[in-house]
Amino acid sequence: MRLFLWWLRRAVSAVATLAGVSILVFLALRAMPGGFAETILGPFASAEQQRELAERYGLDDSAFVQYWRWLQAAIGGDFGTSMISREPVASELGARLPVTGQLAVMAVLTALFIGVPLGVLTALRARPDGGGALGRLVSGLGVSLPEFVLGSIVVFVFSRYALGLSVGGYVPFADDPAGNLTAMILPAAVLSVFAISATARTTRDAVLNVLVEPYVTAAVARGESPAFIIRHHILRNAATPVVVLLSTITAYLLGGAIIVEYLFNLPGIGSYVVQAVGRRDYAVVQAGVLLAATVFIALNVIADLVVGLIDPRLGVTAEGRSM
Amino acid sequence: MSGARPGDVSGDGTSGGGAPATYPSTSEERRGVRMRIAHLTGWLRRLDWLSRCGLFCLLVLVLAALGSMVNLGGDPAEIAGGRLQPPGPDHWLGTDNLGRSLLPRLLEGIGVTLLLSSIAVLVTAVLSTALGIVAGYLGGMVNNLVMRVVELLYAFPSIVLAILVAAVVGPGRPAAMAAIVLVTIPLMTRLVRTASTSVAQRDYVTSAVVSGVRLPRILIRHVLPNVAGTIAVQGTYALSVGILVEGGLSFLGFGVQPPQASLGVLIQEGGVYMVAAPWLIITPGVVLILAILSINVVGDGLRDRLEPRETRSLR
Repeated sequence: MRLFLWWLRRAVSAVATLAGVSILVFLALRAMPGGFAETILGPFASAEQQRELAERYGLDDSAFVQYWRWLQAAIGGDFGTSMISREPVASELGARLPVTGQLAVMAVLTALFIGVPLGVLTALRARPDGGGALGRLVSGLGVSLPEFVLGSIVVFVFSRYALGLSVGGYVPFADDPAGNLTAMILPAAVLSVFAISATARTTRDAVLNVLVEPYVTAAVARGESPAFIIRHHILRNAATPVVVLLSTITAYLLGGAIIVEYLFNLPGIGSYVVQAVGRRDYAVVQAGVLLAATVFIALNVIADLVVGLIDPRLGVTAEGRSM
Repeated sequence: MSGARPGDVSGDGTSGGGAPATYPSTSEERRGVRMRIAHLTGWLRRLDWLSRCGLFCLLVLVLAALGSMVNLGGDPAEIAGGRLQPPGPDHWLGTDNLGRSLLPRLLEGIGVTLLLSSIAVLVTAVLSTALGIVAGYLGGMVNNLVMRVVELLYAFPSIVLAILVAAVVGPGRPAAMAAIVLVTIPLMTRLVRTASTSVAQRDYVTSAVVSGVRLPRILIRHVLPNVAGTIAVQGTYALSVGILVEGGLSFLGFGVQPPQASLGVLIQEGGVYMVAAPWLIITPGVVLILAILSINVVGDGLRDRLEPRETRSLR
């Protein structure tokens, strides 16, 4: 019962955040400079034409009415029509989702399978004086490499010296799996550098915190082998922050690995939204940003679920995390 | 995160009867300030070599930024020589596609990036500290309200939020600053709030409340000094995020606008001529990485000092 109530509260707060996000996005887009009518009709349209357009799209209605109309449509999966391509935004986003999704999955899986073991290893080898400056330097370097610097350099090296992996030239996985992978490895690798280092750092911190727990001392005293202690006592108890971090990274990547998609010319959601901002394509920006935030909130809830499964002391962790 | 923090500065207020013992005399206050300075130089000395290297790098960057203000290395806008010249005795870092020398442009870029991010992070620090302390100390409704708003901002991926801000405000320096503030506020507020909540339950706060100390004074004299460590650490990290956001935004063309230089602008411009003139992107790229790395390293060092924890090994 208590668990159920907690989940109810969690769901309500997620929906409330989502509503807040939608209002924020709606207001932000209304505050954008350059009128809607002017964007569509160009600067030389007559007042008559502008009035007609405003009437057709209901631009004269109050902000509240417009918001309500937009929200109703959005819940039904209708995000309006792109003003540039005249295509429905939802279908365009849907077509671009696989690219962004594949990128995110590749980067996050890499982070999971390399970052977590790396973090555990460095934690176990950490010296009591908090030393290991070299390790800190390496992991610090990983989180300090901005995507646009690393990406630019990778694009340069691989396009100049033809090292076998193509830069750009995206093809859907279904059409040509090998070609798809050669195009996706580099952008995914660029994204995974940050993901791996961040995961390794968080894992390291979490494991270091668990290592001083009395039950680890007890396990050592019982003569359990280090491998057993790691698997059964440490990993499980250190998992919470790592799961939360991985869900955050996934959400951010799904919301648009904007810079990397832009650099590698991938037809994903991020590059779509950047283009749309430049062209003042309101409907697209609105939908893209809302999608990013929705994914973030949804993944947050999922992370809570996973944490609850790993660590049954849900109430305790929930209080600790509910900010 | 940490149990007893060594930096509990306001341990006063436990003694004394009816008289407001929480008010130290002026000489005591002065001694407190002197002790704090000694404290500061103390842990400067105890930082490990890595953090000291980071601090040194930062110092060099700040000096470079100051140098750009007196046009050290020349006028950044001047067409100084041939186009896309490689680094040489005339132009130490080479020239760009318009024949401008890269060295003064780089100095200007460092200055613009650092100044912009520092101002933005200062704003963040003030706002998050105020919000976090009040929310953490008062709890209840205020806490809920603040945390809801913060959570709202937190739900946007940072670069998406930054682009949205730039779209509303219009590309330029104000957009970059506003973006940095909005991106860095959520995390810092959350952490200051968490620290304040635990401080609010300490005995010296309770005794201050019992002795009738007013709320603003409690927040400023008792809570603030004890969350100062968190603020310092998070402020450092926020600065590196700020530089990252400025860079990304300017790189996409929504931040600082050319001809003014910032590290992001230089990297974007360099990217265009990467094949013909790789030095145009490598130099600002390395400087940017160095700046972010040294700030992060200093932040790590601060955190290890201010929030120490036990370590042990399995064997």
